[in-house]
Amino acid sequence: MSEITRRDIMRAGIHGGAIAATMAASQAVASPLDGPRILPAHLDADRFAAAVKELRAIVGTEWVFADPESTLPYRKSFTPDPRGEHIPSGAVAPASVEQVQAILKVANKYKLPLWTVSTGKNMGYGCATPASTGQMILDLKRMNRIIEIDAELGTALVEPGVTYQDLHDYIAEHDLPYWIDVPTVGPIVSPLGNTLERGVGYTPYGDHFFMQCGMEVVLADGTVVRTGMGSVKNSTTWQAFKWGYGPYVDGIFTQSNFGVVTKLGFWLMPKPPAFKPFMVRHGEMADVSKIVDAMRPFRMNNLIPNVVLMMGAAYQLAMFHRRAEIWDKPESVPDEVIRDFARKKGLGMWNTYFALYGTDEIINAVEPIVRGAFEASGGEVLTEKEMGGNLWFEHHKNLMSGKLTLEEKGIMRWRGGGMVCFAPVAPAKGAETSQQTALAKQILGKYGLDYNVAYAIGGRELHHLVFILYDKSDPAEEKKADDCIREMVALFGERGWASYRTGVNTMDLVARQYGEANRELNARLKQALDPNHILSPGKQGIL
Amino acid sequence: MSDSGEFRGRAASALKLGVAMACGALALSPGDAAPASRSPEKIYRSTCGYCHGAHVGPIIRGRALPPEMIFQFVRTGPGPMPAFRQTEITDAELKSLAQWINKSEADPKEFGE
Repeated sequence: MSEITRRDIMRAGIHGGAIAATMAASQAVASPLDGPRILPAHLDADRFAAAVKELRAIVGTEWVFADPESTLPYRKSFTPDPRGEHIPSGAVAPASVEQVQAILKVANKYKLPLWTVSTGKNMGYGCATPASTGQMILDLKRMNRIIEIDAELGTALVEPGVTYQDLHDYIAEHDLPYWIDVPTVGPIVSPLGNTLERGVGYTPYGDHFFMQCGMEVVLADGTVVRTGMGSVKNSTTWQAFKWGYGPYVDGIFTQSNFGVVTKLGFWLMPKPPAFKPFMVRHGEMADVSKIVDAMRPFRMNNLIPNVVLMMGAAYQLAMFHRRAEIWDKPESVPDEVIRDFARKKGLGMWNTYFALYGTDEIINAVEPIVRGAFEASGGEVLTEKEMGGNLWFEHHKNLMSGKLTLEEKGIMRWRGGGMVCFAPVAPAKGAETSQQTALAKQILGKYGLDYNVAYAIGGRELHHLVFILYDKSDPAEEKKADDCIREMVALFGERGWASYRTGVNTMDLVARQYGEANRELNARLKQALDPNHILSPGKQGIL
Repeated sequence: MSDSGEFRGRAASALKLGVAMACGALALSPGDAAPASRSPEKIYRSTCGYCHGAHVGPIIRGRALPPEMIFQFVRTGPGPMPAFRQTEITDAELKSLAQWINKSEADPKEFGE
């Protein structure tokens, strides 16, 4: 489908009339129906139509999207799909648990594969697109109620379609003394979806699955299960105690396709009396090792309590700048070019953001300890006093205090709208992290791609978030990005570094790295819980 | 489409909402009555405005952008822009939003391209 890009708009000038003329000239809106719609495998058009008819009877005609035009928004993805392997056949959007149960009954009857999403904004990993073409999207966005906020315990229970924006608004409206913890796409994504993907945020409550407490799951046969204390009659502790009794099962419903999670409980962080954000600026790519070794003890002993971001300069620049502003060659942008441009913006090659929380007395006691350690590592320890008003510092200050922002989505403009995240786990050891950086740069360099990365530092490990930014409008670039991430998965895997999460195009590839016994266990669970394999087949490599 | 704001409005006086209500009250009812639409200002503030005029996306207010183009952009997500589905912004809401953006004045507090 031909498109008008936002750049076309800017070229056309500021007036709508000029833009309309540009649209007409490019025939940009000629047809949103370009290209074939692909039906589920093993389901002919008549059977598909019959299934759609039954789905419409459940949710209403307007909430089933089964023609090419209405399905179009579900196809949008930033990740590479050069062979058209991730195209949905349609979507169905229930408004209740009962409707979910009825939909699953139809899916079992017709063997209709359903790819479940909450808000479908899994940006670096495929948005709402399925692991294989032909799956129908089970879009849970209409289930968007904040069911309970317990003001005394600081707990929340929400449905899949609730966004962090909704949660923020609720807390503000009721003047509750809690912070939320947001991922970088907070306003438009859901706590439920991000937690199930085991995503992170950047306050002390940043490990979202760690802060999760209780869930409700609809199994493929329609059975509704509540985990932890939630299945106890008249329970008042569903969101207070994670582990319940007997086997702890919440984990098998994260990054999986064993059920449809329809409610999720989690904890909210009490608003601290004091908060102080820091940035540590290091000037050289090779400093990565020193930073990690300096940070490790503080994350282990929790003197620095939040999920720390160690941001590479190229990633930071991509938030607010385009590649063409600093480099016009097809080869990867050289480090010295990045370094020089970053310096003009007040940034180093690595910019590490952490914060202290508590009272002024606590912060005053801890600050000299961490300041001394990072200064010894060769870093400049900076605060609001030096960096206030700096775009990047303000952005990270907001993230570390649970404020909503989409500024990091600017990175998709670096080369033209394409993005896929490769996310291997590294131990929090300087030497090994440095080796990961070297390997990533080597592979990216082979493809002429840039090292746009962030390290998210947990207690004893780092998520090495390598964002492959490419021009999605160019088929050759799209194939290159796809080839690149596959090579990264393979070569990192050879060193024992596997991903904590991956896009729909590499789910099976990564699953293989976790070994046959692991895959077999998942396959047995899948067969037991979803014998018709209707729920998100291919999710995390589980068919 | 059920909107959490609308839901919260009904429950504004109660901090705790019974789980039983959540699970039991909604029966299978095709074609449920649509809830009240959100205003264009609210949608712009809680979605569009995080990028447009905020360093990330181009400024779109005060430019008389054609409503049909805005509609198409929101549904397809050209280039670096995400697509937004009917479950996120209904057709009715999107039409009002597109008209509002088309007629809106430039906001001097916005910045970007």
